[in-house]
Amino acid sequence: MPVTIVVPQLGESVVEGTVGKWLKKEGEPIAKDEPIVEIITDKINIELPAPAAGTLGKITVPEGTVAQVGQQLGVILLQGESLPAGAQAAPAGPQQSNARPPAPPAPSPAGGAPAREPAPARAGAAVAEAPSGEDQRVSPAVRKLLKEHSLDVSGIRGSGMGGRVTREDVLNHIEAGKVAASAGAGAPAREPAPGAAPGRAPVAPQPLKPVPAAAFAQPGSREEVVQPLSNVRKKIAENMLRSRHSAAHCSTWDEVDMTALVEMRARLKERIKTTYGVNLTYTPFIMKAVVRALREFPILNASMTESEVHYKKYYNIGVAVHREQGLIVPVVHDADRKTLLQLAQEIEDLGGRARADKLTLNDIQGGTFTITNAGMFGATASTPIINYPEVGVLGVHLIQERPVVRDHRIVIRQMMTLVLSFDHRLVDGTPAVQFLHRVKELLEDPESWLLDSI
Amino acid sequence: MTSPIAAYDLGRIPYREALEFQRRAVMARASEACGDAIYFVEHDPVLTIGRAGRAESLRVSERELRARGVDVVSVERGGDITYHGPGQIVAYPIVALSGLPSGLDLHRYLRDLEEVMIRAIATYGLSAARRPPYTGVWVGDQKVAAIGVAVRRWVAFHGFALNVDPDLGHFDWIHPCGIRHLGVASLRTLLGEAPPRRELLDRLRQSFAQVWDRPVTEAPSLSPLPETLHA
Repeated sequence: MPVTIVVPQLGESVVEGTVGKWLKKEGEPIAKDEPIVEIITDKINIELPAPAAGTLGKITVPEGTVAQVGQQLGVILLQGESLPAGAQAAPAGPQQSNARPPAPPAPSPAGGAPAREPAPARAGAAVAEAPSGEDQRVSPAVRKLLKEHSLDVSGIRGSGMGGRVTREDVLNHIEAGKVAASAGAGAPAREPAPGAAPGRAPVAPQPLKPVPAAAFAQPGSREEVVQPLSNVRKKIAENMLRSRHSAAHCSTWDEVDMTALVEMRARLKERIKTTYGVNLTYTPFIMKAVVRALREFPILNASMTESEVHYKKYYNIGVAVHREQGLIVPVVHDADRKTLLQLAQEIEDLGGRARADKLTLNDIQGGTFTITNAGMFGATASTPIINYPEVGVLGVHLIQERPVVRDHRIVIRQMMTLVLSFDHRLVDGTPAVQFLHRVKELLEDPESWLLDSI
Repeated sequence: MTSPIAAYDLGRIPYREALEFQRRAVMARASEACGDAIYFVEHDPVLTIGRAGRAESLRVSERELRARGVDVVSVERGGDITYHGPGQIVAYPIVALSGLPSGLDLHRYLRDLEEVMIRAIATYGLSAARRPPYTGVWVGDQKVAAIGVAVRRWVAFHGFALNVDPDLGHFDWIHPCGIRHLGVASLRTLLGEAPPRRELLDRLRQSFAQVWDRPVTEAPSLSPLPETLHA
């Protein structure tokens, strides 16, 4: 059996790399462990050692192409083997054009900022099964999209090079399928796209098209201002709906006595401000508590596919930031490895750059759990939408003095409502409630655990 | 894994000579002919272009640079363009990734190199930090150290360059690492005076030992650079 050369797992934060130089040519003999191809990530260049001795049978991913972790790059033929006839004729492997096909909206720091793309990179992190047969004609991102919608590539007409099915083709196909499906319900009938398979309705329905303006505009009656939707707004709308349609949202909440934390922060705030120039908000404290609790309840730091749970052993915590242009969720990477002060600095920096439209793609990718603070504007409770494909989001609210009962007496304490929205497909009620309770415990007694992490 | 890492101070050597030496050392390490080592060096002015290198990052023509005796070398490490010159501490850890806390997590390897420098710099009362998404070590908006790494047979080589007291004017030849809007600093500009090289090397060795949780021992100087390396 020929041995495939794949992009290995190179660390949890690495999901793809660019194929640099092929150090061997097709047909050239290679020894086991001899470097055969370079994979370039941002600051590291790795020479992949040959997994077996033989000859380099085929290069399926050319130089300069982005490849995902797990993707096949080429094939080594063992002694006496030759390429199967079909393989030679087949279009070159799971190849992508130079630009990554699921290109997130250009992260132009100057122009429209990217709202969060549903992390196309995740497709790579989930080590894709070895592509075979006709699947090879599509990129990993398209394959993922097909899988998400339980579609078969053979039913879709490809518009890419050599008839390859692109992401656009799949999306159009899904859209056409929906129009066809709704045709029976009195919507304007339209020809289903060629090849639309009526029996294979998408599992997770795509965001529906907004109501046409004609449905609510009353020409000439009352004044309306019509503005085109910004790209950011379109992206937000798409992501919100994708989450709503994909996850089984459920929320649980709890009352937290923040009195001790309010006092602790008051003590530290001035000193941190004068020494480090950082505004110490509650968010870094809450993030610390969340990371601690996530360690104990790893299911809340996971994601799911149709057949797998992906437990993430890293803690990248998104913080929803309100800004004029619209909501965005920058991510504090490896929050578990940062001190309280580092978290405070980073959250402030990300918030500032979010508002200034200076976030990079990396800043908004790779989150594993999200914190959103509606309390900033006075809300005492809310039910946040999950930042899909994450499975949990913690809503933080206004801290206010409320009467509570302690030892049979009514006393005034600094209280806050914490809300956890979770994806009930993956997370049962019990761990969700326990997780939230753990966050509450940690926030109510910060001195017991925070001192070792400041 | 507690086998010690030998730290050599090779002093000032030409870049190309050091590059050839590194390549020999990687192969020696990969074949277990020698153990893990960190080589500290200093180079004559040179520009090195990594695999992510772009022509736009060079602001002066190559011909002009060569006329001034500045070499321009394309190398196998990751990253864009980097300047090396007198007044820098350049470190080349040539280590088997399997024996480090980061294992095969290459991004963590980068973060750990940053951590080594951040800790050593902190001993001078200076608070340096990372600046995601950029790799390297920064004080505010200014970069004090650059990182570029390559991996061959799961042995890391290349490494970092820490600006102790280089001629910062030389950085005008390039957009360091392709980053245009941020500046470059040295420990001298930040501290008012440059720490003595021997002292700083000592603190870097200690930081390496802490971050990698391995003993780092000072090894005798190698001069001239050996053709073959042994345990």
